[in-house]
Formats: sequence, C-alpha cells, structure tokens
Amino acid sequence: MEIIDLSWLQIGMGFIILLLPAYILWKYNTGLNKKLLTACLRMVLQLLFVGYYLEYLFEYDNPWVNSAWILIMVLVADFATIDRSDLKRKASTLIPIFGATLLGIIVIDLFFLEVVIQLPKLLAAQYTIPITGMVLGNCLRSNVIGINAFYYKLADHRERYQFYLACGASRTEALQPFISEALQKSANPTLASMATIGLVSLPGMMTGQILSGSSPLIAIKYQIMIMVAIFSGTVLSVFLGILFTNQMTFKDTDMLDESILKN
Amino acid sequence: MANQHDIIFQHVSFSFGDEIVLNNLSFNIKTGCHTLIKGESGSGKSTILKLLLGFYHPDEGRIRWKDNTIHPQEIRKQTAWLPQDLDLGSHSVSKVMEKPFEFSCNQKKATTEHQKIEILNQLGLPKNILDKPFRTLSTGQRQRVGIAICYLLDKPILLLDEPTSALDSKSKRHIANLLLSNKAKTIISTSHDPSWVKKADYIIEI
Repeated sequence: MEIIDLSWLQIGMGFIILLLPAYILWKYNTGLNKKLLTACLRMVLQLLFVGYYLEYLFEYDNPWVNSAWILIMVLVADFATIDRSDLKRKASTLIPIFGATLLGIIVIDLFFLEVVIQLPKLLAAQYTIPITGMVLGNCLRSNVIGINAFYYKLADHRERYQFYLACGASRTEALQPFISEALQKSANPTLASMATIGLVSLPGMMTGQILSGSSPLIAIKYQIMIMVAIFSGTVLSVFLGILFTNQMTFKDTDMLDESILKN
Repeated sequence: MANQHDIIFQHVSFSFGDEIVLNNLSFNIKTGCHTLIKGESGSGKSTILKLLLGFYHPDEGRIRWKDNTIHPQEIRKQTAWLPQDLDLGSHSVSKVMEKPFEFSCNQKKATTEHQKIEILNQLGLPKNILDKPFRTLSTGQRQRVGIAICYLLDKPILLLDEPTSALDSKSKRHIANLLLSNKAKTIISTSHDPSWVKKADYIIEI
C-alpha cells in the first residue's frame, strides 16, 4: 500500500488535539503552556530543518559530509549533556564528554553499520544518519542521568569517598561505588524498555518502517539491532564520559573540583 | 628536635574561600602517642585531619611527614580515619565492613566473619547487626562500626574525629580499651569529651 502523505492542512488539524492537554495544564495552574508553545515551535522548526537537510544528505550521500554531520550532532549533544546534567560549561567538562560521546558513536556505528549490516557504501546516509541519530539521542538521555548521578552523588557523599581514600584506596577504587551507581541509573531505563518492547510500546523506528511499507519482520530485525546498539552505546558513552571527565575534574589531592557543579 | 617519624605542621594557614579556618598554626605530632586536638566547634579541628590526609593543600606553610613534604596517596596507605558522621551507604554492615579490604593496599589484611563479630561484640554491638543496612543504624552504632573498620584495618596512624560524640559511657570505655591499648599506633583525635581528653598523651589547643 502507498504511504499516505500528509498535507500541511492535515498537520495543522493534528495540532487541534493539543487544546485538550493545554486546557488541563491551564486549569491546574501548571504554568506549562508557555513551555508547550515554545516546545511545539522548536519541534516544528527543528524537524523542518531536519527534513530539508536529510533530503540534501540523502541526495549527496558522501561519507565525509555524513561524518561532518555526525560531528555536529555530537557537538550539540555535548553541550546539551553538560547543561542538562547541571554541570558548568568548562573545558574540563566539554572536551571529555565530547570525546566520550564521539568515541562511543564511532565504535557503535562502525560495528553495526559496517560489520553487522555491511553497508554497500561506506557510511551510506540512508542508514548512518537515522541510526546514529537514534543511538545519539539515547546516549544523550543516559549521559545526562549517569553524569548527573555520578557528580552530584559524589558531592553529596563527599565523606564516603574521602573515607575510602583515607583507608588507602586509589582514586579509581574510591570512585568505583559512585561509577557503579551512575551506570545502574543510566542503564536501567534502556533495560526496562528492552524488556517491555513490543508489549507496552511499538518503537518509533519500527513504526516508521512499517508505515513506509516495510514488512513487519524486516522492521523487527532492525529494531532488535537498534536496541542492542542503543544499549551498548549508552553504557559505553556514560562509562567513557565518567572516565574521561575524571581526568580533568579532580585536583591533585584527589578531591573533586566542585566548581564544575551548577548547584 | 622532632624525631624522624614526627608529623610536623609548620606555619600552616588554610581558608575555605574567604573564611579563614587555620592561621599560622605550628605543632609536632609524635609517633606512638595519642595526640588530641582541642578547640571550639568550627575552630578547624576536622580540617587539620583532612589536611593531614592530603585532601587539601595548605594556603601557606607546609605539613611534613617523615621529614618529607606530605604525599597524600602514600600517607593514606598508612592511615585509617573515622569522620564525625560516617556515611557508608545502604549496603549491609557486613558488606560495608568488607569494602575497605577490597582496596589493593589492604587486600592482604582481608577480614573474616569471625573477626567482624568479635570486634563488634567488643564494641557492644550484636552479631545480627551485620545483616542490617548501614543507613538504618543510629549515629552511635555507625560510629562504632567505623571504629571497628579502623581497628581491623590495623594501620599505623589512626585519625579519629570526635570518636565518642555519639557514645554512652560504657561504649566510650570499650573504644578506649580497643584503640588506645596498642602503643605502637599514632593516634590523632579531636574531641570535646573530657573522658576522652584525659586519655591523650599530648593536647594541642587551637
């Protein structure tokens, strides 16, 4: 069956349903309607932009251009991770998180795109851009949870960390319980969605493939692969994020440089 | 003249931001003795212990250990520290007591269940406390578990920050017997408690 294209009028009609949540949010004085308006405007503008550049990227389909676009996505994710983790934008946070996210994405992309899927063309845009985008989006969410949990837990429980150091632990040994907790917190949401996928939700990628005419059996194969890629990518980027930032956010006394924390 | 193993504070000043905590402080600590640091709340007693552990650098002056400027990672291999309010998370007391023995410098000292029970008994804590989550213990129980860890680690230097602040008189006697009987150890403590102050070989008033 041909996919039904949506006219702009139909999309406009779709927005009418927002009156319902907007009314509830207004009735209960949540103050969220202004945010809702901004979020809607941003969503439309960003997706319009994405639509146009994807058209261009797919048409041009050059590995260098695709790589450059991935770099831009990683850079935007880097700033977003720092801001949403309540850390300050400093060289000691921006550089390591950028490095960790980029390295995580390179490992996952090369493995899944080139080894597993075996693209006929290096970094073909049709696969590389959406898969990288999905992995990166999830890495961002996990990084925010993991990095925030790690640094704020460490600051809140400074004496526990100091106690371990005073018992003779190396910095790595004393940080181990904090890293473990950050990894648990960041990996849990992805694990939960892996465990309920198909029962509670039909994921976006699979839905998209089915809508565009793919067989559901092909769609689930890609969905399985993408879930594995997302899980591996998120754990890898959180771990590398903590590992790399640790090299720059501690003083020679092994104490955390708390000036990186916003609160 | 200070002997080779003394810990020496030389004209040490330290501030947290604009707040001056220590100003031009000098003293010596002899090994094998119990030195008590006495002073009012907020006078910087706990900060002295943290400076000794190398968690902070003095703004001015220096701290020497065995005739050398302090090297934090090295000195910490020889210390056990009891902070005022011990926070060791939500694992069971048994796990919490095992944790320090997982660190590479303590692995040879691995503690047994029997040792844990024995030391806890000496500190007036029942055996079944080992299975309780550490965070559910009272302040006094946490303090005694901390003392048990410090004792089992068997380090040459013990830094005790208000070790009796949450203990009854019977428990105070227990910990004094346990910690102060070994004359080979260097003990540096802070306290307001007259019964503990009496047990010091040297008192430094700040």
